Amino acid sequence: MIGFWDILDRSENSSLIKEKQFDQQLGRVAKQLVEKYEIKYDPKQVVPADDNLADRVYQAGLDLFLKIGVFCRDTGRVMKFTREEVEWALRYAPTTVTYGQGRDAATMSYRSVEDMKPPFCLMTPVGTPVAEERFVPMVQSYVQEPLAQTFSSAFSQTVHGRPIKSGTPQEVEAAIWNVIKLREAARAAGRPHIGIHNLISNAERTDAMLAAMQAEFGAQPNDGLCIAAIAELKIDYERLKKVVFLRHSGHNKYGLYGPLMGGYAGGPEATAIVHVAHHFLGLLVFEVQWHCGFPLHIHYGCNTTRELLWLISITAQALSRHTHLLITANTFAAAGPCTEMVAYEIICNALTTTVSGADIDLAAVARNRHPERASGMEARMGAEAGHLAARQRITREQANEMVKQILIQYEHKFGDPPLGKRFDECYDLDTIQPTQEYLDLYEQIKEKLTKFELDYSLLL
Amino acid sequence: MVKILLKFGSNDKYRRNLRAMKGNATVVKKNETMSLSFEKMADATVKGDEKECVSLAQKTMTMGADPFEAIQKGFALGMRIIGGKFAKLECFLPEVLLAADAMNAAVEVLKPHLIQRTDGGSFGSVIIGTIHGDVHDLGKNIVKVMLEASGFTLYDLGNDVSVHRFIEKADEVGADIIAASALMTTTMAHMPDIDRMLKELGTRDKYLVMLGGAPVIAEWAREIGADGYGEDAAEAVENAKELMRKKKGADVS
Repeated sequence: MIGFWDILDRSENSSLIKEKQFDQQLGRVAKQLVEKYEIKYDPKQVVPADDNLADRVYQAGLDLFLKIGVFCRDTGRVMKFTREEVEWALRYAPTTVTYGQGRDAATMSYRSVEDMKPPFCLMTPVGTPVAEERFVPMVQSYVQEPLAQTFSSAFSQTVHGRPIKSGTPQEVEAAIWNVIKLREAARAAGRPHIGIHNLISNAERTDAMLAAMQAEFGAQPNDGLCIAAIAELKIDYERLKKVVFLRHSGHNKYGLYGPLMGGYAGGPEATAIVHVAHHFLGLLVFEVQWHCGFPLHIHYGCNTTRELLWLISITAQALSRHTHLLITANTFAAAGPCTEMVAYEIICNALTTTVSGADIDLAAVARNRHPERASGMEARMGAEAGHLAARQRITREQANEMVKQILIQYEHKFGDPPLGKRFDECYDLDTIQPTQEYLDLYEQIKEKLTKFELDYSLLL
Repeated sequence: MVKILLKFGSNDKYRRNLRAMKGNATVVKKNETMSLSFEKMADATVKGDEKECVSLAQKTMTMGADPFEAIQKGFALGMRIIGGKFAKLECFLPEVLLAADAMNAAVEVLKPHLIQRTDGGSFGSVIIGTIHGDVHDLGKNIVKVMLEASGFTLYDLGNDVSVHRFIEKADEVGADIIAASALMTTTMAHMPDIDRMLKELGTRDKYLVMLGGAPVIAEWAREIGADGYGEDAAEAVENAKELMRKKKGADVS
């Protein structure tokens, strides 16, 4: 057994290494393991149905974690772990996590590959920048979705008219404001006690986050926070401070990992095994209950390309086949709201994720960088596709054929994806409902997808 | 007298790239029997072969060839080739970083011989860092490598850099460009302070300000007073060059 304070000891006493050397080692070892385990990305098998490949990706990810370890930026040391420690942590990892209270309570539990159980649906604009006056309406558009089981935050560009600057007193004020407003959005949606999986998304510093996590501001005991790895297998003391607080407060916590395909690890194969390794980091170092992955394309800033869908699928299958970890994939689409492309991207991602044994976190759109470009409709389209995948008992082979046909509709547009509409252009701000234009677009998409064997009648 | 040919190989891609660089120069030196080519320099850089790059740099000096030409038409060309491959994901960041290390090792050998050039051999100097509160530096590191490869002199302040530290360093080295990156929406709010603080100090005209990073878009960068922006590393380099052209009133391509 390894405890949190053992981890801290390791961060203070293990081998010293330069960060650049760590990065180089990561790329080198990942490449060696790709060769050793003969891991090969096949663009024709976007959702692979090769169990043996998934098993090799898992073993490579575990080997990588044991060989490379975790780099602590504050001490410049690399923490190493033994196979026994990882196996012990996996054995006792949580099998469920519950968010929300009363009728709004929802429980996430382990999913197997091709599980018939519908995915757990987390809905969030993933910190999309929005004007202060539209923060609650935008968030409400997610919470009110019937398939939403938890939700999270947009990013208000100001609080009380002032911009939020990290590390300043305004950041503490903003974090508290964020919690108050998230709970207000839940009440406005008629779901007052629904869980918030990430209470604070407008503060970087730990002090601001912890100041805001109070019951009087609207935080429930089982709301939570994410703890994100800085980059490929790196942490710092800011993250470990959150771990200490959450150990005492009892709030839920999850790990957030966004390896870049094309980045330090290399191509899709190497990034896949680094992504698997991140889950061990989350479990051992952050002691998280569940895991959220958002691997991204280094140039396109999304995870709906062919390579990224493969990566999401194979890592989910690898983890689902070998552990009972609670894993999710956070969709990042290149196109913006109210476009055909965003619908196709999100549906592809949801189908891929669901049949591969993971839950779904929906959704960052317009590459998560354009202000006001996000709405609950994108989350609805993804959640419905995820539910359909389970209800229709879609296999990986079937999903692969569907996804490939859908990919053809949009993959030529990554160089210049449509920005789409602003939230106030695709939602009625009085009723917080999508415009007829957006509803019609979704109906047209569904009609087209029916031809690809997706049976939307099962949602009725 | 033996000609030391800076010659082209048979690879068409290299030929095209080298032609583009107007690199069909010939260097002549007495009593030498070896040939040295820009292609070899570019090739060694692309392969990330640090040892070979250092060796070629040493030979450049032994032969009395122009070190600035060797960098621009050889080693830096290699970096541009690998940058082009990276843009198409024909290679990945580890290969880019290896190539950058190899090129930098060669530049270290050549640097002492560059000092006497009147133009300094640099297109401009850049203070680069990730903005205050932000510890994410991968994007900034890629931009740094690509700017260096394009002939800029870089001063990397790392991550979590306060606005006054950017300005302090720019004043200290007489930089041309201040380049800041942010990954988080929570940290980009410090970026407007660069323009504001420079104006307060009365030094805004001394520097060009460039911004980039995942949540930063061109429109916003303009709104907060930036002179330039980079959607990605390639665009950052092009815009940095363009800004320097305007500043110097000369062609730096």
